[in-house]
Amino acid sequence: MREKLLALLREEYPDIDFEESDELVDDGILDSLTVVGVISAISDEFNVEIPYEEIIPENFNSIDAMAELIEKYQ
Amino acid sequence: MTMSYNSEFYIGFLAVFLIVYFLMPRPRLRLFVILAGNMLFYKFAGGLNPMSVIFATAILVWLITMKMGRGYEECEKQAADLDRKAKNALINEAKKKNRKWLALGLVLILGFLIYIKVGRVLHFDEVGHIRDIRFTAMLVPVGLSYYTFSAVGYLADVYWRKAKAEKDPVKVLTALTFFPIIIEGPILHYDDLMKQFDEMPGFSYERLSFGAQRIFWGLFKKIVVSDRLAAYTTTVFGNLGEFFGIEVLLAVIANVLVIYTDFSGCMDIVIGSAECMGIELPENFRQPFFAKGAAEFWRRWHITLGAWFKDYVYMPLAMNPRFMKWTGSIRKKAGARASRIVSSAVPLMIVWILTGLWHGTGINYLLWGIYWGILIVAETAFAPELKKIPEKLGVNTESFGYQFLQMARTFIYFAVGRMFTADGSKGSIIHILRQMVGEHRLWTLFDGSLYEHGLDRKDFYVALAGICVIWIVDILSTRMKIREELAEQPLVFRWLVYYALVIAVLIFGLYGPQFVASDFAYGVF
Repeated sequence: MREKLLALLREEYPDIDFEESDELVDDGILDSLTVVGVISAISDEFNVEIPYEEIIPENFNSIDAMAELIEKYQ
Repeated sequence: MTMSYNSEFYIGFLAVFLIVYFLMPRPRLRLFVILAGNMLFYKFAGGLNPMSVIFATAILVWLITMKMGRGYEECEKQAADLDRKAKNALINEAKKKNRKWLALGLVLILGFLIYIKVGRVLHFDEVGHIRDIRFTAMLVPVGLSYYTFSAVGYLADVYWRKAKAEKDPVKVLTALTFFPIIIEGPILHYDDLMKQFDEMPGFSYERLSFGAQRIFWGLFKKIVVSDRLAAYTTTVFGNLGEFFGIEVLLAVIANVLVIYTDFSGCMDIVIGSAECMGIELPENFRQPFFAKGAAEFWRRWHITLGAWFKDYVYMPLAMNPRFMKWTGSIRKKAGARASRIVSSAVPLMIVWILTGLWHGTGINYLLWGIYWGILIVAETAFAPELKKIPEKLGVNTESFGYQFLQMARTFIYFAVGRMFTADGSKGSIIHILRQMVGEHRLWTLFDGSLYEHGLDRKDFYVALAGICVIWIVDILSTRMKIREELAEQPLVFRWLVYYALVIAVLIFGLYGPQFVASDFAYGVF
C-alpha cells in the first residue's frame, strides 16, 4: 500500500518530497489545496470514500499515516 | 455610556472585574464571575434585551450538541467489541441521525443571521426591546456575525466528532457570551475555550503584566495611530468630490493603515484582556503586510475568519463526494491540471463571495469578495507559470528588493480592495479613481493645505512616527518574542519602555471634545 501510494503521489505532485517529513501538514509542505488534491487522487485510485472528520493534520502528516487512513476505509 | 474596548470605561471595568476574578479561590467560581462580567459588559455594550438572543442561541447549541454527543456515546458503547467495518457502519448510522439535529441548529442559527443581514438591506427597523419585535423590526445583538460563526463551528465539530459535546450549560453560556471576544472575535473553537474554563489559574504577576502590555500596545495602535489617520480619511471619503490626486491617494494609503491599526489594535486589547485572566485566545494577525501574495495575506490577516471558511466551507465543499466525482470526471477528460484548478477554484469563489457578504450585504461587498476570489484563484491556478517569470527574467527571488516588491504588491491588493467600500457608496471605487486622476494637486504637499483636512501637521507626524514604531515592532516580532525578551532586560531599560508606551498613549492618544473616541470598525459586521 505504502509504495503504491508513494508512486501515485510522486506522479501527481513531482515537486513535493512526501518522505521529507513526518509533519507534512504542520510544516506547511502540504497546504489545504494540496490536501484536497491528494484526497481526490486517493479516492480515485483506491476507490475509497474518506469521511470529512478524518481530514485532520495527523492523518496527512506522513505517507504512513495516509496509508493507514486508506486501509481503514478500504 | 457605551462600552468599547478602547474606552476608559472598559479599562476601568476590566480592572474591577479582574480584582473580583482573582479573589475567587476556585476555577468554578471564576467561571461564574466571568458569566456575571459578560452580562454586565453586554448591558453597556448592547443592552440585556439583545443579549437574550445570544442566551437563546447558547441554550439551543447546548441542547443540540448534547443530543448529538449522546448519540455518538451510545454508538461507541455498542461498537466496543465489533470489528472495524461494523464499527464504521454503526458510526455512519449515528451520524445520519445526528445530521437532522445539525441541520436544525444550522437553519435556526444561520437563518437568524441571514434574516438580520437581509433585514438591513430592506431597511427594517432595529429595536432595543423584545416587546417591540415584529417581522420588520429586528432585535440585533452586538457581535452577531462573530458568535454565530463560532457557534456553527462548534455544532459542526461535534457532528464530525472533532469536539466533545460539553455537558455543562454554564460553560456553553459563558463561552458564547465571553466578553473579550463578543464584539469583534476572534472567531474560535468553543471547545478550546471551554477546556480552559476548567483550569483557569489564579493571580500571576507575569500574566497580568504581559496582558497589560498587550492592552496598552493595542491602545497605542488604536488611539495614537488609527483614530488620528481616520480623522483625515473620513474627511476625504466623506466629501470625496472636493479632493483630488495626491490627496485621495494619501487617503487610500492611510485607509489601509487605519483598518490595520484599528482591527489588530482591538485584537491586542481583546487577547491581552483574556491573557490577564490566564485564558489563551487564538491570534488574528501575523504581520499581514509582510505577506508575499494574496493567499498568504489572508492566512495572516483576520486569521480566524479565513480558518473558519477553510474548515467549514472550503474543505467540506471540496471534499463533497459528488463534487469529487465531478472533478474526477474532469481529470479523465481534460487531465490532472484542469481537474486540480476546478477543484480549488469553485469552492474558493464560493468562499470569497460568502466572505464578501459576511462583511456587508451591499453589491460593493459582493464585488469585493469576487475581487479577492479572482486574485487568489489566479494565484493558485497559475502558480507554475508565475513561478517561471522571475526565472526567465533572471531575477533573484531571494533578494530583499524582490521580496519588498512582493510585499508592496500585497499592500496594493489590499488598498484596491478597500476602495470598493471606502466611501460607503455603491460606485465607491469608480468615484475614488475618478477623483484620483482628475487633478494631481501635488502642491498641497508643500503649501500646507494638506494639513487642513482634519489632521494638522503635528498630528500627521505623530501618526507617521507611530506607524514606524509599529513597523519596527512587527519586524522584531518575526524574530523574537518581544515581551519575553523585554522581561530579560535590566530593570531601568524595561521600565523605560513601559513608561514610554503608557505615556505615548496618555499624551498622544486622542481624547476630548475635538475627537470622539471612535468605535472599532470591525464591530459592525
